[in-house]
Amino acid sequence: MIRWDVIQSSLPLIGTKLLEHLALTLVAVFGGLVISGVAVVLIRDRPRIVGLVTGFFGVVYTIPSLALLAFLVPLTHLTFVTAEIALIGYTLFILTRNLLAGLASVPRDALEAADGMGYGRTRRLWQVELPLALPLIMAGIRIATVTTIGLVMVTALIGFGGLGQVMLRGYNFRNDTLVLVGFVLTVALGLAADLGLGWLGRAITPWSRAKAG
Amino acid sequence: MTAPVARSSPAATVAFDHVTKQYGNTGPGIPGAVQDLSFEVPAGKVCVLVGPSGCGKTTSLKMVNRLIEPTSGRILIGGEDIAGREVTDLRRSIGYVIQQVGLFPHQTIGENVATVPRLLGWDATRRRERVDELITLVGLDPAVHRDRFPAQLSGGERQRVGVARALAADPPVMLMDEPFGAVDPIVRERLQNEFLRLQAALAKTILFVTHDIDEAIKMGDLVAVMEVGGKLAQFGTPDEILANPASDFVARFVGADRGLKRLALSRVESLDLRPAVTARVGDDSDEARRRIVADPFEFLLLVDASNRPIGWIGQRQVPSSGVLTEAMASAMSPLLDGKTTLKDALAMLIDAEVQVGIVVDGKGAVQGLVTADEITAYGRRDGISGSGAEATSR
Repeated sequence: MIRWDVIQSSLPLIGTKLLEHLALTLVAVFGGLVISGVAVVLIRDRPRIVGLVTGFFGVVYTIPSLALLAFLVPLTHLTFVTAEIALIGYTLFILTRNLLAGLASVPRDALEAADGMGYGRTRRLWQVELPLALPLIMAGIRIATVTTIGLVMVTALIGFGGLGQVMLRGYNFRNDTLVLVGFVLTVALGLAADLGLGWLGRAITPWSRAKAG
Repeated sequence: MTAPVARSSPAATVAFDHVTKQYGNTGPGIPGAVQDLSFEVPAGKVCVLVGPSGCGKTTSLKMVNRLIEPTSGRILIGGEDIAGREVTDLRRSIGYVIQQVGLFPHQTIGENVATVPRLLGWDATRRRERVDELITLVGLDPAVHRDRFPAQLSGGERQRVGVARALAADPPVMLMDEPFGAVDPIVRERLQNEFLRLQAALAKTILFVTHDIDEAIKMGDLVAVMEVGGKLAQFGTPDEILANPASDFVARFVGADRGLKRLALSRVESLDLRPAVTARVGDDSDEARRRIVADPFEFLLLVDASNRPIGWIGQRQVPSSGVLTEAMASAMSPLLDGKTTLKDALAMLIDAEVQVGIVVDGKGAVQGLVTADEITAYGRRDGISGSGAEATSR
């Protein structure tokens, strides 16, 4: 069933699409992180606005991806921007929620000590709050990344989609091997991202595993 | 602690000048509110703010590093109004220790201790030297503890690191908010004693908050008793407050055993010792007998050649001829030295079921006698401020 000669002849395509898949994912997660990060820093002291913003991101999150693309294409056409608007849109809910939860998880006594010793607001955010929020922020990035890797497939419908395009081509040409390759590589990419980010999260928060003895 | 003592900058006075803090416009009576607070802590002294919960003691403390801003009034450090200081700059010049310690979990002990030096822009070498010096100063080992995370330390060790971190930039003033409240009683007592030894060498001006009157009496050169509503009920030395409570509230707050607490503040050396009638082994017994008959206290204290006590000989047991021998001595009394607190001395007398204790010097030679009656009378006497025994003793 698997035709190795097809895989061999499609290797350049598969490689390109794998990289494209990664690029779409990275831009989406990074863009989502910047947007939700700025949003959270600006609004976190105003609970009502936090409610509104997370509510809005939650609504975006529930829109079916096909519907969202169909809605965006007339506005921004079949472009990279359209694909990324959709992908970033889906990361915002996850990332915002985890950023807020991470900041809320910072021990109050550490904040009081920081204030009492003369940290300014910005320095406290970067040197105390964000490092201590990292475990939950990293968990959010991990979920957002794995989710995005799956969602990228859908953007194949507007001419992007990375490995999704490999699968789509497989369908169009009745080529089971390409469908399988697209499927297996996407799952592998998702697993690798999950494991890799899990490892990275632990590596940059050595203190969270430190216990007495 | 045998640790080296860090060089120390001069301390500064801290003065409250009609400081009031109101929450909302409901006026006084709100927990944490402070009402027209005025007092001055001289440089190098420990002032303990003590009172029931809601009396405004923590609010008062936090107004000194401006975590809370007063509604009216001024706070002066070294004569300078802190309202005019840049707030982060002010806080970096004040050591701050809180009950939950508030170490940064993501930083090692060394990084935690270096916090304020880092904020002040000290270079890495100077920070590193200071960190090791302070970790040693609070009784920990830099080689063992410096690179650990707070979660790897015991509660008592974390509290020590909290004190080291507060001392890091050698601030003239320290604020301590129930610093030993979260550790068990045995560790607390050890930390208190270490702190007093440290303070004897560093002589910082310290504001210390507690709800525990015993801790206040033990730690404070001065005690500010506060009552609900944020009013200063009394301000004075521990002995003044125990001897002459200014109100029923203070009397109830310090407790019915305040006489006994005062005894813990004074030492045997502050009593007028009663001379002992002594005789050496080998002395002529007839001569000794004549001396003891003349004394209202009917016991002769037998001592050795270096004047060290051996035991008592009752008036009637002294033979009319021959020389005194060690075998004649029967009972013995507890040996006290000048540094024994009166509370401990009384406990030793009660324990030994005797009325009289023998006070000896560092070499064990007899200096005189104290009686249980004299000790209890001392606990009942009126406090006279500046009578010498006070304030210097803890």
